Amino acid sequence: MTNSDKNSIMDDKIVTVQNPTDMTGVSSGYRGKVVIAHDKVSEIDFENLDKTCPTHSFDFDKKSQALSVDHGKCITCDKCRVLSPTLIKIKSNFAPASKNKAGLVESFDVGTAERSYDELGKELKEKIHNLYGRSLAIREVDAGSCNGCEVEITALNNPIYDIERFGIHFVASPRHADLLLVTGPSSRNMEIALKRTYDATPNPKLVVAVGACACSGGIFGDTYATTGGIDRIVPVDVYIPGCPPRPQALIYGILLAIDKKLAAKSNL
Amino acid sequence: MELSEYGLDIAAKFGEDVKTELINGNEIHIFADADNIIELCHFIHSNLGCRLLSVICNDERQISGMFVFRYVFGKESGEDVFFVATSSIDGKDICFPTLTRYIPSASLYEREIKDMFGLIPKGSSDQRPLLLHSWPEGNYPLRKDFDIKTKVQKSKDEYQFLKVAGDGVCEIPVGPVHAGIIEPGHFRFSTLGESIINLETRLFYTHKGVEKLAEQMPMEDVVLLSERIAGDESVANSTALCQAIEKIAKAKIPTKAAQTRTICAEMERIYNHLGTLAGLSTDAGFAFGAARLNILKEMMMNLNEKTSGSRLLFGVNRIGGVKIDLTDANKKMIISETESLGNEFYKVFEFLRKKSSFIDRLKNTGTITKEDAAGFGIVGVAARSVGIDVDTRKDHPYANYPSLHLDKHHDTPYHKMKYEVELQKRNGDALSRFVLRAEEIQNSIMLIHQTLRDLENEQPIWCDVGPLEPHLHALGYSESHRGQTMHWVMIGKNNSIYRYKIRTASFCNWKIIEQAVLNDIVADFPLVNKSLDLSYSGNDL
Repeated sequence: MTNSDKNSIMDDKIVTVQNPTDMTGVSSGYRGKVVIAHDKVSEIDFENLDKTCPTHSFDFDKKSQALSVDHGKCITCDKCRVLSPTLIKIKSNFAPASKNKAGLVESFDVGTAERSYDELGKELKEKIHNLYGRSLAIREVDAGSCNGCEVEITALNNPIYDIERFGIHFVASPRHADLLLVTGPSSRNMEIALKRTYDATPNPKLVVAVGACACSGGIFGDTYATTGGIDRIVPVDVYIPGCPPRPQALIYGILLAIDKKLAAKSNL
Repeated sequence: MELSEYGLDIAAKFGEDVKTELINGNEIHIFADADNIIELCHFIHSNLGCRLLSVICNDERQISGMFVFRYVFGKESGEDVFFVATSSIDGKDICFPTLTRYIPSASLYEREIKDMFGLIPKGSSDQRPLLLHSWPEGNYPLRKDFDIKTKVQKSKDEYQFLKVAGDGVCEIPVGPVHAGIIEPGHFRFSTLGESIINLETRLFYTHKGVEKLAEQMPMEDVVLLSERIAGDESVANSTALCQAIEKIAKAKIPTKAAQTRTICAEMERIYNHLGTLAGLSTDAGFAFGAARLNILKEMMMNLNEKTSGSRLLFGVNRIGGVKIDLTDANKKMIISETESLGNEFYKVFEFLRKKSSFIDRLKNTGTITKEDAAGFGIVGVAARSVGIDVDTRKDHPYANYPSLHLDKHHDTPYHKMKYEVELQKRNGDALSRFVLRAEEIQNSIMLIHQTLRDLENEQPIWCDVGPLEPHLHALGYSESHRGQTMHWVMIGKNNSIYRYKIRTASFCNWKIIEQAVLNDIVADFPLVNKSLDLSYSGNDL
């Protein structure tokens, strides 16, 4: 046995993220979200910027000279940063989920969601317990995604992120689900299936739109074959931006959906 | 030269009516009229020993008043050459001759053309709709006069599945929404007891109009779109697209760019193969193995992130080269991390290999025959698992593959013979695909190390590709972890894309699953499906 063998994944050891600071170590080059340097807005060439962005995520209010970016559309392709590197930066922290579409539009870098995966998860577990007194059942529905979001959702179940320890599990039927996690712009061919899946899910139910496509149509937009966002077909509780959103962003979005439900319950 | 030899062969058979032309270095275009195009295709297929790689229809009514058909064939043994048999029909015609009489795998392409162009394959026995569900006649998305924003009312969905009847025959419809975290598609099983006696797939639920969308976008945005044809094949698809455009521009990309493409393509292969092996372990009910393999996959995705800024390797390619500049630090990191991944993987693989209960599930499950594989024209690991030795990296080398030593089996006559014997032994079951993927992971690590050792440090990572002349076209291709990816691009006015035809490996391979599950039990279906590792989005476009 050499030394390196001791650290083998075949041995009994815990690989699941434990120390909250571990997960904040996302690599600095990760394209998490677009951030606008607002003191540099004066140098903007908006027409060019809008033309450069493949999903037209930017909006510019000439009167107030305010530039904003809609994370629900952004696919973090980096083109805008290449065009105007002083005005636009790409940061490694992800754009957080929002309870409504307007919340995805960010005109200031508010530094949200910099908590670790583990911290988010523990909070989530508590809230799920308060709300349901049991675990949360999720049904994933691919409504025409490119499979990128599925890769990340699958990663939630791996031993590193291990979402089950927070009381969340994926179920095989909408009839067993509390929450639908929907990806894709909803292709036209999935419209009916998505609607039926939604109808088959018992009340009270939550719907979370995952990824730029589900939020806004993303790069696939609104065409003969797509519907331009799943909220055109089913009501959406929370939008998770990103192309695709990383596991931390997903769990943050699920947490937000639970929050929304809790708030509604306390208002009753 | 051999190319003129082929020209002579064809001229001898078809006379002076058929013109040939060599473009883009390795594409022999042969022009025939609609009367003898089918015989020409048959000749290329059977006499020249080529495989049908794609059928491209193009609405060129604005250019020449015609609909043009290009049948792409490829040589697979030792010669890097493609044959493109081309014919056209008048823009007012609505029928074209079917090729299915000679080449059954042409059927899917012809159904696709019927949906997207409204042209009817005369004489074909299967004319059911394919891509467009509940779609009324009279709207054909890939015709130039169809506006992409058109919202077409749904018509009544009357898709005809094959009816299997008899005492005790039971029909099980599955999907489009599946039980796991997977893409949508519909499977119609007919079973007798537990055995599957027929399976029919109906796909294209994730059809997003990618080919039409590409025609509306600036060229550099189409690269981003191509990365999202199938999120897990981003490097393979964007490489194929970029190469097609670079070929049209006659641009030679810097060596470092070619090397970076190869490194990223192999990284993509590793993380996806790991995911497939983990999935197989899950579907066989062996959580321990799946957990270990998923840890390795996550390691690989972290490495992707550190290398490219994206866990799925989005944003690697650009037209004329790549966007990421690998530094010495990257180089060291990739070498050390893939090396330790390789060691760990070896341990997991050795462990799984010895678990008889696991191996028993894979052995003789989802078996495909060599005849079926050849008939359906399948590619990638599935083809190699029955001993059909096709690999675009070897057959039509691109990026940095020409300078890599891929065919080490052929070093000596003895090695070659040994390899031939090994190919004969592969029996096309889930186990052979499992073992092949494991070997490919180790091979990919080797290729990455080999490329990184020769990495050109002080080189630019892209070259400028100037404005392109309209209506020039080229094939672009690559080998994804699923198999051959074959794209075709025609340039339009003002540096736009006139037509972008995408054919991923999954489009070729989906049909084989209907054969692979026969006589297996329903409970084995997930295992068979996973072992073939098919993409829905890459198929549905």
